[in-house]
Amino acid sequence: MDSLDNTSWDVVVTGTGLPQSLLVLSLSRSGKQILHIDRNDYYGGDEAVLSLSEAEQWVKNHGGDASERADSTYSHATISHLDAQEGGAKKLGFARAYSLALAPHLVYARSNLLPAVVSSRTHSQLEFQAVGSWFTITAPPDGSPPRSRLTRVPSGREDVFRDDSLDLRAKRSLMKFLRFVASYDEENEQQRMEQLKSLPLSVALKQHFGMNSTTAVAPLLALALPTVSEIETTVEFAVPKIARHLRSIGIFGPGFSAVLPKWGGLAEIAQVACRACAVGGGVYVLGKGVMNATRAEDAEDAEDSKLRLELTGGEKVTAQWLVGCPPDLPHTISTPIPSQASSAEYMAKNISIVSSPLTSLFPPTAEGGVIPAGAVIWVEVAGSSSPSVRILVHSSESGECPAGQCVLYASLRGDPSILDTAVQHLLESVGEQPTPKVLWRMQYRHYTETEQPRGTTTSEGVVMLQSLSTDIVLEDDVLTDVEEAWRKIMGERAEGFMKFESREGVEEDE
Amino acid sequence: MQSHGIPRVAATTLDKSEQARNKERKQIIQYQALERDVVDRVKAKDYSDTTFQLTSQLLTQNPEYYTIWNYRRLVLQHVSARELAADEEPSEQDAAAANKAGLPPAQHEVLLLIKEDLQFLIPLLKQYPKCYWIWNHRSWLLGTATKHLPAHSAVTLWQAELGLVSKMLGLDSRNFHGWGYRREVVLAIERLSSNGDGEKGSGSGNMVESEYAYTTKMIQSNLSNFSAWHYRSQLIPRLLSSRSADTNARQEFLNAEFELITRALYTDPYDQSLWFYHQYLMATLNPANAQALPVLEPCGRVEHARYLEREIGSVREMLEGAEDCKYIYQALLEYSGRYLEVEAEGGEVALGEMRGWLRELRGIDPLREGRWRDLERKMGL
Repeated sequence: MDSLDNTSWDVVVTGTGLPQSLLVLSLSRSGKQILHIDRNDYYGGDEAVLSLSEAEQWVKNHGGDASERADSTYSHATISHLDAQEGGAKKLGFARAYSLALAPHLVYARSNLLPAVVSSRTHSQLEFQAVGSWFTITAPPDGSPPRSRLTRVPSGREDVFRDDSLDLRAKRSLMKFLRFVASYDEENEQQRMEQLKSLPLSVALKQHFGMNSTTAVAPLLALALPTVSEIETTVEFAVPKIARHLRSIGIFGPGFSAVLPKWGGLAEIAQVACRACAVGGGVYVLGKGVMNATRAEDAEDAEDSKLRLELTGGEKVTAQWLVGCPPDLPHTISTPIPSQASSAEYMAKNISIVSSPLTSLFPPTAEGGVIPAGAVIWVEVAGSSSPSVRILVHSSESGECPAGQCVLYASLRGDPSILDTAVQHLLESVGEQPTPKVLWRMQYRHYTETEQPRGTTTSEGVVMLQSLSTDIVLEDDVLTDVEEAWRKIMGERAEGFMKFESREGVEEDE
Repeated sequence: MQSHGIPRVAATTLDKSEQARNKERKQIIQYQALERDVVDRVKAKDYSDTTFQLTSQLLTQNPEYYTIWNYRRLVLQHVSARELAADEEPSEQDAAAANKAGLPPAQHEVLLLIKEDLQFLIPLLKQYPKCYWIWNHRSWLLGTATKHLPAHSAVTLWQAELGLVSKMLGLDSRNFHGWGYRREVVLAIERLSSNGDGEKGSGSGNMVESEYAYTTKMIQSNLSNFSAWHYRSQLIPRLLSSRSADTNARQEFLNAEFELITRALYTDPYDQSLWFYHQYLMATLNPANAQALPVLEPCGRVEHARYLEREIGSVREMLEGAEDCKYIYQALLEYSGRYLEVEAEGGEVALGEMRGWLRELRGIDPLREGRWRDLERKMGL
């Protein structure tokens, strides 16, 4: 390949995470000369998908407090091999049989990403699967070790009808609340919303909807997926989230509200997006980052006024635009993530490979409906001051592990050791004999970005995209951010964001 | 297109570019030529395979054009009659295939024709699940099979139909074409399986239990299913006689149905289809109601009064937490009216209470003021 040195580009994009990849997808038909680089030697950036051996390497690069890598979103990574202790039955498969997602996200059916994937003609290269059932594992109020009891969250009228654990009154109250949630943003509910919004959800449910039992509250909290403790979860936060869940049910099929992209989640979307950009003429180079970015003070012509970038390896290129997320942009432009040694906010995360398919977590979504590939578990932690653990369970149908096993993605804004306990409780509560075991586990911390003003051009020609949040739901902000960036580059009057005709000669299976 | 509240992602956006309009113009010309061709051929009594293929093309583009379905049937009739009257020896291949199917060659040919046409209809049905003419043609094809083929062949086709209609109802459980068709299919299977022993209640052909279970399944997956509840109500009298249910069994059954519908009403009192079913159950107790066959045996004034009392009490409790639900007040007024006719001295309801309910009703649904005034007058409130 010819050297990049002294080349000139319209747009240089650094990092192949989801936001950057969506941006280059949006630019893939624009005719702009795009150079898309990534300082890692793999695609996907912070949303990357790793085989077992890639995970080992990744952990080496992100272990300890990684303070010398202040531009990393991840740190304190460790791996535990646990199958070696087992007599023999359940063992790990080949390293390449696994595609573990660093940042798995739920994509709600109503998210703005999905229509964009369709209108940009990339949907035929992606396969989406249902995230079907939600469960709670509750802790009894007296603080003793949680009795592991798995309860399915009713997510609609028919679930409530069928739920034998709810008596008639409880059914009535729950339905009343769900009806309120379904129209919470309409005019006739404005007053009630104003009245309730700062109350903790659990208090509002008790005082205003007649839901007295604590077992009725947990499923609703689970649907909102807060990262803070129960008492800190307000109506204002929770109700729109529950509404999003309810409004998403049935859109792509009965009985489920969200999907996950097969073969490794968001990284798969990023890959497809990059491929589209490459087809459109974009140039891809891995193992290169932007070390420095400057601009001539006294530029005389257009060429001179371009950004001057220095890449890893010393190549000097010029570009009209430089786009990236804060960890990938040179320090002269973005402020680094605050030192991880301090008590910066992080999400403790943990990936566990489990020796059983956990079939009881994946019942069909509806009569004659699809078998889901994902499930969501909400694990209450003893002592109500701690937030709950959220576990995304992906079956082998997601393509992330071989048949007969599952991948569990646990996250908590709190003490990492709680994650292992939560996973253990889940495995004990599915009621399988023998209890399923964790074969392999990777633990790490995911740091929250400090508040960067969105899409700001902090200096001329530089567009900063927000990194994905550390949370597990893909928010609409991501695509809105990309659209703003697209508009900066294409001009304010540009039209047709993510709307493409199918390429000639490309087979489209409707 | 109606989609029963389930939002669908728009298939295509309206594209009025010059290119698209030219394409459309060409399509219209081609369609009109095709239509003319078919009509001319049929007028000339040309029932050849070519004509048949042309009707396929035309119907794929416009399945609502019912005349063309009639023409298609003319061709099929012509071909079947010819096959059945055939004097010529069938080819070895055809004879072997017919033998395998356990049919004489002529009938086997007819079976193949029918099967092919059923196959042709499937993608059309998927795209236009509410087109009367497609369901109608399926019905005709199966009727032809029943007429010309032995029971064992025909019943296999009908059983496949049951599978198809279950799948269609799985996709849209409120498609009344599907439910009506299901009843037709069940009836045909029962008739063909009873082997003419006449006794519809017994015999291996009796599907009433499995159909009853099917309505339970459909209700559990979607409470708001007028068709499923209606079908259930149609099945009940036959179900009980097929079980040879005695007085106790019948009472248990009725109580279980009331428990089911009460549970549903507590979950969603705003759903009208549930109230219709509750009214049906109550109607079975009313000797004066010829439409709803009695469930209980015996079923006289005593039973009627007892259930009215019980249900008025039960529905009254439903008000708590659903004071804005007009159906509850309507039910209370209706049942109270009936109760006072049956048990004039009964203490379950007082006129004052009834007046209160009517007042609420007027407040909740002022658009129907005329109706409430009539009700007031009729009930002497």
